[in-house]
Amino acid sequence: MSPTFRTIRELGTDIRAGRLSPVALAEACMTGLDTLGRKLNAVVTITRERALEQARRAERELAAGRDRGPLHGIPYGAKDLLATSGGIPTSWGAAPFHDRCFDYDATVIRRLEEAGAVLVAKLAMVEFAGGMGYRQPNASFTGPGISPWAGDAWSGGSSSGSGSAVGAGLVPFAIGSETWGSILGPATYCSVTGLRPTYGRVSRHGAMALCWTLDKLGPLALTADDCGLVLDAIAGPDREDPTAATRAYRYHASPPADRPFRFAVVRGTVDTAEPAVRDGVRRALDDLRALGTVEEIALADRPYESMARIILWTEAAAAAEQIVERGLIGELTAPEDRVTPYARDAILAKDYLRALRLRGVVAREIDGVLRHFDAIVGPARGTVGPRLGKEFRSALRGGAPDVLGAIGNAAGLPAVGVPCGFTDEGLPIGLQFMGRAWEENSVLAAARAWQARTDWHRRRP
Amino acid sequence: MTSEAEILFALIRSRYGSRLDAAQLEELRTVVDGLVRDVAVLRAAVIPDDAEPAQGFTPYRSDS
Repeated sequence: MSPTFRTIRELGTDIRAGRLSPVALAEACMTGLDTLGRKLNAVVTITRERALEQARRAERELAAGRDRGPLHGIPYGAKDLLATSGGIPTSWGAAPFHDRCFDYDATVIRRLEEAGAVLVAKLAMVEFAGGMGYRQPNASFTGPGISPWAGDAWSGGSSSGSGSAVGAGLVPFAIGSETWGSILGPATYCSVTGLRPTYGRVSRHGAMALCWTLDKLGPLALTADDCGLVLDAIAGPDREDPTAATRAYRYHASPPADRPFRFAVVRGTVDTAEPAVRDGVRRALDDLRALGTVEEIALADRPYESMARIILWTEAAAAAEQIVERGLIGELTAPEDRVTPYARDAILAKDYLRALRLRGVVAREIDGVLRHFDAIVGPARGTVGPRLGKEFRSALRGGAPDVLGAIGNAAGLPAVGVPCGFTDEGLPIGLQFMGRAWEENSVLAAARAWQARTDWHRRRP
Repeated sequence: MTSEAEILFALIRSRYGSRLDAAQLEELRTVVDGLVRDVAVLRAAVIPDDAEPAQGFTPYRSDS
């Protein structure tokens, strides 16, 4: 039975009814990954041995009446920055590390195993999660990630394979990471749903560090509901990661409070998007009014994007110091990644601390705004998927505005990106719901309501 | 390019210039210039004197 484009809940129902074998499901996913997945440059390693072992175990356990929950027997792919044991390489998307192995599993990998999920592949990513300053899609030793929606369009980055594998129906869900845009971007360009959790919600233990105070791990899946199921399995405190929050998380799929949603749109965030995105998001906002109020608000005039960039580039410079000093960047795929990292020495410590001071101010201000709303809504990405071989505009280099991304990531806020339309050329457009810290269930409820009303997430390439 | 950017570029070139060719050095100069411009925008922002860095530190004890 084909796993293509079926949600976690649908697959789980069939598995428990005996209509679908976890082993057959894993095999089908791996076949698709090895064929279409490789054409999309979405795959680094197919983890066949581990997948079959996990799938057979799931089959045995479920037959014996031991049910680990909604992910039991469900295949998934992991961005190749999550450490995996057992001789499975973890490349960070970078040629110098293409065969490097760890002897332990990242906490997220371990938790998904405990939930009975089946790891079928390590998925492609932009080298060093984009931390070296790439400015065109060909920035991974596996080649440029390709969107399932157009053979000449980028899948987005840095969680490229996570986006395109889910978008092509090759896995029901995947794990990605976001420092700034790396979950919501690929989710948009591949027309899937992506959840960026609150900073600290998910342990980063065993994940490549790009930026210690900005990195978040989260799921990409077909629906907001599926993202909630995955977050439920991977969230929670972890002694191995001191930045992991001590508060517990449980996903609640129940309907939100019996009242209309209250949404806010930050002035300027829609109008500054590319015309096709602007028009698509405007239409989405009109549709959203059926679910609640949509109020335009203004934020204080602050250098949000410069603040986020200085934090990102400073921490990235420190995190990658040994890689840069040893000259390993000279082996990277993107020519600009062999040069840009050296420039970060130009950032002075006082300026980094100034960015962190402003960050605290911004975090308090945005919380003061969000306490009056269920979510801020806006474009999940202000640009459409760039064509392969072309330079793209990016907020990380100051080439495209992304106030919501800068604030959301700097303040560590949760956001879910959902499909909301297509351009005339057939490229996907995404809408994001960004909420208060620790309010994943609120943004997921809004996203579920959106997906109950629209069918953008059910369209297939 | 501002004098600050020129000075910082010279510092970086002195550290890593031997690894880079002329085209790469020119690209590096552009990136440094962009960073310095970003920093200038950040420096112009008004921040309250009592705003502390949003940066956590927890004293460590192995038994707690």
